[in-house]
Amino acid sequence: MKFQIPIGPQHPALKEPISLRMTVEGEVIRDADIRLGYNHRGVEKLAEEKNWIQNIYLTERICGICSHSHSTCFVQGVEKLMEIVPPRRGLYLRYLVSELERVHSHLLWLGVAGHEAGFDSFFMYTWRDREIVMDLLEMISGNRVHYAMNCLGGVRRDIDEAQKAKILEGVAVLRKRSEYYFRIGASEPSFVARIAGVGMLTKELAVKLCAVGPTARASSITRDVRKEDPCAVYDELDFAVGTADSCDVLGRVVVRVQELLESYKLIEQMIHKLPDGDIAVKAPRKAKAGEVVSRYEAPRGENLHYIKSNGTDKPERLKVRAPTLANYPATVEMLRNGFIADIPLIFAAIDPCICCAERTVTLVNVRSGEETIVPLSDLRRQAAERRTNVPAKRNAVWPF
Amino acid sequence: MTDIELVEKLRRDLGPAALEVANPDRRRIFLKVAPGSLIAAATLLRDSYDCAYLAAITGLDKGETFELLYHFASTEANINVRTEVPRTAPHIASITPVIPGAILYERELQDMFGLVVDGIPDARPLVLPDDWPAEDHPLRKDWKFQRPAEIIPGDKS
Repeated sequence: MKFQIPIGPQHPALKEPISLRMTVEGEVIRDADIRLGYNHRGVEKLAEEKNWIQNIYLTERICGICSHSHSTCFVQGVEKLMEIVPPRRGLYLRYLVSELERVHSHLLWLGVAGHEAGFDSFFMYTWRDREIVMDLLEMISGNRVHYAMNCLGGVRRDIDEAQKAKILEGVAVLRKRSEYYFRIGASEPSFVARIAGVGMLTKELAVKLCAVGPTARASSITRDVRKEDPCAVYDELDFAVGTADSCDVLGRVVVRVQELLESYKLIEQMIHKLPDGDIAVKAPRKAKAGEVVSRYEAPRGENLHYIKSNGTDKPERLKVRAPTLANYPATVEMLRNGFIADIPLIFAAIDPCICCAERTVTLVNVRSGEETIVPLSDLRRQAAERRTNVPAKRNAVWPF
Repeated sequence: MTDIELVEKLRRDLGPAALEVANPDRRRIFLKVAPGSLIAAATLLRDSYDCAYLAAITGLDKGETFELLYHFASTEANINVRTEVPRTAPHIASITPVIPGAILYERELQDMFGLVVDGIPDARPLVLPDDWPAEDHPLRKDWKFQRPAEIIPGDKS
């Protein structure tokens, strides 16, 4: 006996508009369908009518959490088209903000994961600490969310010695706090038991479905654009790619925790190695005709911008592929054979950013599934089946 | 493998199917194939170049033709496979039998450019509304957004 349950586009468990339609058999999800388009704003079309400078601020508004990711991906591509090289100091500052953004995004996600698993004090703690990095970002850029740090040829704001000291101080506090929270996992077996074995995605499936970011890395794929396609400063810095092989939500938590610690390392290195000099060079108004593929490791995975120029001050085409879109086919597989109660947890585990993945306005009817009478024998069978479907990892351990 | 070796290997493996191989930048390879040999090229990239990862598909309206760019990536390079289909017969074979993860990008192409992806397992619109006119494809260059005139109830004009 199968039912269809519509979840969203507006639903308390989802923070952004997306429609999930679940085909369930008892408590077990047999199939899932994802319906997009509720938040499509036509950014790609709009970008063709704006000039290069305006597009920096347009791309920054693709996303609220990883705003710097999109604008960085865009400017590093356009700089190649314009054949300008930003000064070292400018590059270091640009990627310093990138890493601070990653810290804020991952802390936010850890809180959400805690909340979805029913561990709300974890959520409150991580979000309190996230304020430290938000304050640092505000100190550097003047803004908490849209930093507007990037310009063609470098960055717009410099930092001084006092700010450097404050960043190091903030990172030291964050590291101490993070390490403390990571120990919490060991003393909180119910949290680990809740997330272990949930939302399984095997390595084969992750490869087949082209998963990206922490979702792929939790299925032991070591794909990180910062390592394999090092842009600008990353090949001068020492860091490791965080991976896990448990292929479940626990693995995704572990990967993000590792990335947090690596980001603290990167931030400290960047501050210590910060070269002297200018922060930006002057950029021409027009770009030469040509095309460029720009890749960037956003907190949620690989961000890809394809920029084609026709020699004018406006792009011929700007293609944006945000990481969340790449992770949807994998999410459907993760949901399959899981439980209804795990939907928010699994869905949150890809760290979905709907506004990133969609760039038109739509109105769609979501039809509800039909109701049917379930015979008692079926219910019994379902109950028996449910027991066999319970995650096998009863004695999961916190890896830290 | 360096970029030059990769370009050589691509030329050797694909033979006459590779219409153009360019390497404009470090780790960036642009390969042009005819629409008919796209599946073969994708299979080759997946099996012998470690490019099972398709990052995205970009569509581009070039007037007479639509250009499609399949962005593959391995740990060594970013290989972009370019192909062109005529505007009068915008058909392209689906690469989902080779790369199942390409489904959303192909659906987006159908919505935005009005391309017909032959053999696509799921042809529903991805981002456009259900009541969207079937002949409107927003990312075609001749499509311009017309803001509907604002009607104010009770307004004298």
